Amino acid sequence: MAEPHTGELASQLYDACLESYDTNHLFYQADFLGLNIIPKNDPQLLLKCTQQLVDQKLLRLHQDKNERLAWKLISREDADKLQNLSADEGLVYNVIHSTARSGIWVRAIQTRTNLHKSILDRCLKSLEGKNYIKSVHNVKFPTRKMYMLAGLAPSEDITGGAWFTDGVLDANFINSVAGYIEYTVSRKSWYEVPADRGRTAKRIKTATGKAEVKSEATEKTYIPYPFNYEGYPTVQTITNAVNESGITPVRLGEESIIQLLQMLCFDKKLVELNLKSGTAYKSVKNPEAVKEKQSRKPAEGDEPIQINEPGKNNGMTDSPCGPCPSFRLCSPGGAISPETCEYFDPWMEKNLAF
Amino acid sequence: MISQRIFSILQRYERLTLPRLKFHSRLNDRQLRHALAAMIQHHLIYHFTSLEDGNTYYEANPQAAYYLVRSGKILQLVESRLGEYASRLMEAILYLGHASVSELEVRPELRSRNPVAANRIKHEEEDPQANGLDVEEEPATTNGDHAVDDKPAPFHATLKALASHGYILRVRDAHFQSPSDNLLEAQRAVAARSDIKALKGKKQEEAIKERAQELVQERTSGDLTQGLMYNGLPRGIKRKFGNGSVDRQPQNHHNGVNGDHAEDEEQQKEEEENEWSEDEDGFDNIPMESGMAVRVNYEKLDVALRNARFVDLAQQDAPAVTAELYACLLRRVEYVTPRCRDAEEIPREKEEGEQFSTPISVQTLLEDIDPSMDLTGALGPADPSQAMNRRGKRPLENGVNGDYDDADDADEASSGAMRAYLVNQHLGLLSQPPFDLASSVTLSVGPSKWRVGFRGLARKLRHLELERMIESRFGDVALRVVRVLQAKGKLDEKRLQEISLLPFKDLRQTLASMQRGGFVDLQEVPKDAQRQPSKTIFLWYYDADRVCSSILEDTYKAMSRTLQRIKHERTLEKDFLEKTERSDVKGHEEEYLTEGELERLQRWRNKEALFLAAIARLDDMVAVFRDY
Repeated sequence: MAEPHTGELASQLYDACLESYDTNHLFYQADFLGLNIIPKNDPQLLLKCTQQLVDQKLLRLHQDKNERLAWKLISREDADKLQNLSADEGLVYNVIHSTARSGIWVRAIQTRTNLHKSILDRCLKSLEGKNYIKSVHNVKFPTRKMYMLAGLAPSEDITGGAWFTDGVLDANFINSVAGYIEYTVSRKSWYEVPADRGRTAKRIKTATGKAEVKSEATEKTYIPYPFNYEGYPTVQTITNAVNESGITPVRLGEESIIQLLQMLCFDKKLVELNLKSGTAYKSVKNPEAVKEKQSRKPAEGDEPIQINEPGKNNGMTDSPCGPCPSFRLCSPGGAISPETCEYFDPWMEKNLAF
Repeated sequence: MISQRIFSILQRYERLTLPRLKFHSRLNDRQLRHALAAMIQHHLIYHFTSLEDGNTYYEANPQAAYYLVRSGKILQLVESRLGEYASRLMEAILYLGHASVSELEVRPELRSRNPVAANRIKHEEEDPQANGLDVEEEPATTNGDHAVDDKPAPFHATLKALASHGYILRVRDAHFQSPSDNLLEAQRAVAARSDIKALKGKKQEEAIKERAQELVQERTSGDLTQGLMYNGLPRGIKRKFGNGSVDRQPQNHHNGVNGDHAEDEEQQKEEEENEWSEDEDGFDNIPMESGMAVRVNYEKLDVALRNARFVDLAQQDAPAVTAELYACLLRRVEYVTPRCRDAEEIPREKEEGEQFSTPISVQTLLEDIDPSMDLTGALGPADPSQAMNRRGKRPLENGVNGDYDDADDADEASSGAMRAYLVNQHLGLLSQPPFDLASSVTLSVGPSKWRVGFRGLARKLRHLELERMIESRFGDVALRVVRVLQAKGKLDEKRLQEISLLPFKDLRQTLASMQRGGFVDLQEVPKDAQRQPSKTIFLWYYDADRVCSSILEDTYKAMSRTLQRIKHERTLEKDFLEKTERSDVKGHEEEYLTEGELERLQRWRNKEALFLAAIARLDDMVAVFRDY
């Protein structure tokens, strides 16, 4: 007498589940019983109902870490889709579905479904034809053919994040955003001395070091903030500034910005500060210097420019031996020797010219 | 030349007795003995007489030989700290290796207050390797004709000033033996003691080790600062009050290339000289023990030179006032820091603990800084919005008074608490990244103090030197890659790309060229026994220790190549230079040489100065990699 009821009970159960839980909820036996639809909470009956729902593709079977049986809901449209698929196609679809946004490699599908390659190929083709799945490009393994459900956006692991365009790092984009960030942060990390304060300008004139841009009134003077200053920009403010600036075609997430900020930290353009209010960033150079450096960048050709900033050279880089390509072969009396060295004379000329 | 030969033989064969040394050097007895005596005088050779076989062994002291290169820098430092006369005194001590007080006192060039010969510092540096025998004669030539028109030199006061700064130390017998001999001897002496003999096994070993260290310490310590410090300050320290701007400049000099500062230094000298006489002459002329022999304390001088490097770091991006304050802090720290590090070798990266300096209180710093120094102008307001509202009138509690009314300004700035607050603000800036140059400690009682973490900073200096080399050789892309590897450890190419955000092509090229240059290394981790490349993980890494040591070797090599080149250049100009160095021409160049020759001489001197400057800068690197 239970037989006719099962179908009804099953659809009741399904509707109840749809109502009281969201679609991503993982159902355990207790969850179903908790809905008070199965009479007497009979596990046998529940099993039958869920089995029917699984057959109708309205439930998907899962197994959690402890090997307990669990179920997930499938929407009715998806269920319709699945109903129309052949058994093999359904299998493949489920496997692809299970990897969600990270996509799955064709060979991995093969091992998991144990289908023959030709059958698998046919399934994939038909699924792709029905526009249920799509093939995606993976940055990490450019040679692998990967698939994911058509409706999903590939995750950052696959695309490499916002900085990749079609799986290739977009250097120009990165540089322009990085430059913008550095300048923005810099503006907030240095205090701009108002120009009308004649006396301040005079005071700073006596100071050395590039921290201050001194002299004429037209030039701006920047001084650092004291150490209890809390106004350094955080990831959030920087992200907002970048997104509002309109230099990016897409909205960048905080994750991507953090990635870029870390890169800038490795470049020693920014430093990370741990303030009471959280992590913030401070620029090493003041806005004027940043601007100057950035405007100089494109002018440089292929040949390396002479770095003349203080702190960029040391005894080794400035001596003829530092950049010498035959340094290792050089020995007194050898074919290459300090006596016959051809680098010393030009070096001497250059340095004595000062 | 003779001492050069002996030194290189000893380097090659390590320890030798006199007969063996004679055999290898093919010198006669007289030459050999003279040379050895002179080299021992300069601490270039250790000797040790064994009690067992009665033989005396000779051993080269490469450290001492190396330090000769640094003489110029040391003299410059002493001059900037203690004035011109002190540097001349130091120079005399350097010339003699070690000398007793009475010996120094009668030296003619130290009698007068004014400098004797203008370019003697250059000569000192000129030929550091072959200083051995000729040293005795040289100083004698440079004096004589000076009228005794000036006041007696403040010899004893200056010597005491040097001693209290720790720049010189008392020569002990143990200084003539190599450190390992000293240790062995001490161990033997300790082991023979009855209380040690009573111990057994491991305990005994430990006790011997410990006591032997103590004994060596006791025997080699020549510390002269005891009893000469006055309120924690060494004697003879210049008062800086009232002429802050003059004092600021010497800090810039330490970085090697000299020459173009000649003029302003001259001016300073004058001022310093005057100050000196007022301050010190009166009360501090009680002579030091005349029989005591003194020598240069290189360890301590390294501390001072290292501090100068730290100040340079501060100057790079911090306001000048902040850097000056930092210099004051470091000066205080220097007085209580006997050496750069306790460990013999620089510990490996990441295995190195931090070693902090003695904390210095803000009050002490306030005593040192120039009261007229403007502490307010160089820092912005903590809250810019407020400053915008009340244009120019920034609230006082933020530590920065943007107030430019003279009367007001003076009142506030002169109040002690305010200044202490400002000093804290400035040092606080340095305690933050990107500087990390100082840190504050708060003790249970009293206000917070400031200290310096030496090991971290020494490491930072090392990394900076490496980064400079990497940037100049491989460009800024390489710099980013290296820093990523440094921070993250071993990485495969993909992770590396994700973090450094560099296109594969650039990344690979850079990595390959850096590997060729020996800056980064590649580790293979095969997944199976066949070690197929396709089934192998390749990890890039950057071993700063290894790179440091190889760069150090390269630096030594570059230095020696530069020295060899000078020698070569010298032989090219040999005839001409011999003429200028004739005893009748020297010192009277203007009279005896033609205009063309004078020009040629000048050109030669410039050239020589350039080479020496290059060597001095290389020495800066050696110091960073080896001594700090």
